Amino acid sequence: MAVTAPNQPTRPGFGAFLWDLFTTSDHKKVGMIYLVTSFVVFGVAGLMAVLIRWQLHAPEQTFLVGDTYNRILTLHGASMLFYFIIPAGLSGFGNFILPLMLGERDVALPRINAFAAWLFVFSMLIIYASLFFGGAPDVGWTFYYPFSKVQGPGTDFFMVGVLLVGLSSLLGSANFAATVYNLRTKGMGLWKMPIFVWSIFATSMLSLFALAGITAASLTVFLSRKLDLTLFNSGIGGDPVLYQQFFWFYSHPAVYIMLLPYLGIAAEIASTFARKPVFGYRFMVFALVGIAVVGFLVWAHHMFTVGESLLFQLVFVFFTALVAVPTGVKIFSLLGTLWGGQLDFKTPLLFVMGFMFNFLLGGITGVMLAVVPFDYQVQDSYFVVAHFHNVLMAGSGFLAFAGLYYWWPKITGRMYPERWGKIHFWLFLVGYLVTFMPQYVLGFLGMPRRYYTYPDGLYLWNQLNFASTVGAFILALGGIAWLIAMIQSFRQNVKAPDNPWGGHTLEWATSSPPPSYNFAVNFPTVFKSERPLYDWEKEGLKPTPINPATIHLPAPTVWPFMTAVGLFITGIGLALPWTSGGFINGWLVVGILTFIYSLFRWALRPEYDVPVHHHTVTGKSNAWVGMAWFIVSEIALFGILIAGYLYLRLTGHAVPPEERPALWLALLNTFFLVSSSFTVHYAHHDLRTGKLSAFRLGLLISIVLGAIFFLFQIYEFTTFLHHVDYTQQLWANAFLLIVGLHGAHVVIGGTGLSLAYAQGLAGKITPHEQGTLEGSSMYWHLVDAVWLFIVCIFYIW
Amino acid sequence: MLQRIGVITALVLGLALAASPGQVGNHVLDILNPSTSYNREVGYLLRWVLAFAAVVFVVVTGLMTYVTLKFRRTGRETGEPVQFHGNDRIEVLSIIIPTLIVFIIFGLTAQSMFKLDRIPPGAMTVEVKGWRYWWDYHYPEQGIRNSSELIVPVGKPLVLEVTGGDVIHSYRITSLVGTQDAIPGFTTRIIVTPEKVGDYYGQCVELCGASHANMRFRVKVVPQETFDRFVQEAKAYQAPPPSDPTLAKGESLFKANCAGCHALKGVSPVNPATLQNPDLTFFGNRTTLGSGMWPNTPQYLEAWIKDAPGLKPGIRMPAFPQLSSADVKAIADYLLSHKLEGLDFNFPESQRY
Repeated sequence: MAVTAPNQPTRPGFGAFLWDLFTTSDHKKVGMIYLVTSFVVFGVAGLMAVLIRWQLHAPEQTFLVGDTYNRILTLHGASMLFYFIIPAGLSGFGNFILPLMLGERDVALPRINAFAAWLFVFSMLIIYASLFFGGAPDVGWTFYYPFSKVQGPGTDFFMVGVLLVGLSSLLGSANFAATVYNLRTKGMGLWKMPIFVWSIFATSMLSLFALAGITAASLTVFLSRKLDLTLFNSGIGGDPVLYQQFFWFYSHPAVYIMLLPYLGIAAEIASTFARKPVFGYRFMVFALVGIAVVGFLVWAHHMFTVGESLLFQLVFVFFTALVAVPTGVKIFSLLGTLWGGQLDFKTPLLFVMGFMFNFLLGGITGVMLAVVPFDYQVQDSYFVVAHFHNVLMAGSGFLAFAGLYYWWPKITGRMYPERWGKIHFWLFLVGYLVTFMPQYVLGFLGMPRRYYTYPDGLYLWNQLNFASTVGAFILALGGIAWLIAMIQSFRQNVKAPDNPWGGHTLEWATSSPPPSYNFAVNFPTVFKSERPLYDWEKEGLKPTPINPATIHLPAPTVWPFMTAVGLFITGIGLALPWTSGGFINGWLVVGILTFIYSLFRWALRPEYDVPVHHHTVTGKSNAWVGMAWFIVSEIALFGILIAGYLYLRLTGHAVPPEERPALWLALLNTFFLVSSSFTVHYAHHDLRTGKLSAFRLGLLISIVLGAIFFLFQIYEFTTFLHHVDYTQQLWANAFLLIVGLHGAHVVIGGTGLSLAYAQGLAGKITPHEQGTLEGSSMYWHLVDAVWLFIVCIFYIW
Repeated sequence: MLQRIGVITALVLGLALAASPGQVGNHVLDILNPSTSYNREVGYLLRWVLAFAAVVFVVVTGLMTYVTLKFRRTGRETGEPVQFHGNDRIEVLSIIIPTLIVFIIFGLTAQSMFKLDRIPPGAMTVEVKGWRYWWDYHYPEQGIRNSSELIVPVGKPLVLEVTGGDVIHSYRITSLVGTQDAIPGFTTRIIVTPEKVGDYYGQCVELCGASHANMRFRVKVVPQETFDRFVQEAKAYQAPPPSDPTLAKGESLFKANCAGCHALKGVSPVNPATLQNPDLTFFGNRTTLGSGMWPNTPQYLEAWIKDAPGLKPGIRMPAFPQLSSADVKAIADYLLSHKLEGLDFNFPESQRY
């Protein structure tokens, strides 16, 4: 889309608005999809919390009983974590603000980005769709095996939703990593990026490495429900605790995924409202990275009570306590940033102050929980509930609102009423403390979490629970104040200036809201610090205007959206029983067809209508860098599952059966797969040298070799299942799970190659526009490498 | 969907009508109750941690208050504040001091963990198994089984070997000792020496289903003589023949309706099926009913037999609408008649922890 001079668009109709939303790949609109979804989810899940508190306001209440209560608490937890606190900061503000801060027009992979956003929305709809198919999940957001295996069908929807939101999150993170890596305005070095950009970068790397944990956990639980395929069944030597290792390998780092972007927001806000640079920029960056690294070594502190050895526990005690150090650095840096400033206590800064106070409490109680003998006593008690709400709700959650108020003028182009913002803050702070401080005490008095009822007469339980419920209602009032603030902002319609707070990062160097192309200027290329606007003002440097008509943006297309729709329908089909009356369920058929069709249409739609030269910082294409980051997560996924297998094998639980899958077949298959890697490589080479027909032939041979591999694998599985009952044989479970997952990757990789082949046939691929091939061939090599590993540990050993 | 709503409504209403308030509460739960060396150790650790916490809290909130009061914008400022980018010394200190605190806390924790992990000589083992939604106890050394209420002697070191029967549960005796999970196929260990006679309130703390909140239990810490007597009588116990027509009727109803799932020594044997449900031998000695929920009185017991799933959602035990009130009463009387002589495990309120 070539952009003509900015003009005030006439108000579009609702249909046109929706069509624009479905076809856009503008990072700002994508950011809005995330922001609107996540803040709406916050409201809904917040109301669930009020319901929970209402049930608990007095002993022996019958408002929400048993499974109904468990459903509400599961939806509350899952919604708040997966659909509010993770996406609001990382995907919402990340998408809207990060390219602006980098002085760029868009993210590295705008269409993937739009696809990820819709997949995110649909994954949530899948989880909520369970309400219409036999009830919401009731297994807690942690869905522990074997509990999650025996509960109702809502869990299937939950698992599919978690898998898809994980995929969305991976694509989003790979996209952010590639953006920060590849797209920065000229002259902005890594060490001159704003802290918020650093925080998004660190968070993306964290999720790329960690997400595999929850993919492994939800996949294995899902397969155990659908096919009885499991590594955890203690009846055949499996280990239920292994599930928890998988789960927390993601879900603890996820705590930092839920925190780091917000720490970035806090630093930006403190700096702006104190009118000073951040204190100890490098220390802040090191602290962010430090949290990301140490965050990987603390997961087992969620499972101190599963009976692991003392040594194992001690390692995790140490790192759990240690992670307090970099988080402490963040607090001190914030204080240092405010020190000596001219503090303007607008709503965003108030929320940052509220965060600091609450996060301090949460940090202290976090270190207390690392003291294992104490942890044993308060495991899964209200002490823990109060602790994680302290860090997540009054910590990250407060900063989500700080960010919302801070960037509200930039995003909406309107100021918000300061008075209502402040009322919102104070109600939230007081409400928070009244709700959760009694819960700390309840922890000492032994009240467990996830209880829908308690008897009358336990010392102080009635009083403290009642107080906590009162607090929940104060929080609800705060929510109303927040709604008023937003509605008033639209009604009063006070136009926001470009830079209402006097910020010094690049998002303030464009209009509010920004035009679709973000900037119609070339920025100076001198970056002295992370505050370019401040430095340029001091040195008298000015951006040079360019003609917006020369700017090209990605063309709108509906196919990323439709691809996500395909996955949505497929997801429902996967969650429902797969066959009924001998027929495959219709959802699956329609979903898969929609998905495949849309995917090919997408691949055949060039990103730009006119040839555009892409400048990237590294010189590598965005597709290449994006896929390189994505592959990290794939390696992690196989790594985790294989680690689980090695553990079961080495402890003597997973013993291969007498009749194992034949080695000769595996070696033959190895030959096919390795050859296909070579043919892909040469095809790619031919494309770069412009030999198009050789390229097409090479690609076709690779796809055929992949197909042969896959057919042989089906044959192998069929014969294997013929003489081994895998439900009674742990090794067979591991084999089918991991080798089968690899087979699924062959299909995915083959589809990727087919997309490139289709582009080749349609003449849509050129030596300069070959992102699909670059991505899929790299992926194909990964599939190949993983296979070699699998041959060693499953066929030879 | 409508059907669901109907079921849920019926459930809720049923519970509202059936559950006359009166679950057994009246315990003072306190994880720092100095009744065991475990709790005293935790108290000692927390004193240290809280001392550091207090210092950190005062310093940070003090600084926050100072910053807020001192550097608040007044509108009278001229020019911008000093634009400093950091201070190496403060930054390094902000790393070193917390690291030192962390090391001290780690050292203390490690020391305590090793100390608490030692099994004192002469310890007695009890196997604890969690089922949805009750707890089962086997005394391997004494060869007895008891469900829902654990009876142990005061002053004797205990090793509780905890495991799960169906899904993962978690076993917590709040005022006595820390928690361990009850995992199917695996065993975790709780080591504790109860030092104070009393009635201890226990709960499941890992979400396990609809009645997770109703999976309570009691640990009765009794004098050694009482315990010895309990063991002696329990080992020898055989259900006596019914002494009157009501009890005889109760016995035949029990055999017809209950014995398929519940063991009762002398009437219904322990077998793979009855092992998955509470043992009802010497049921009359139980102080609570429905896994620590209600007082074990005829009134509650009859309501329970009639409609257990209405009182405790999600349990395996079915309702018995086909039984007349007289039948239910007969079963209740029969069950309550099974009693070890001269043993009473009720404790006054002052001894309920």
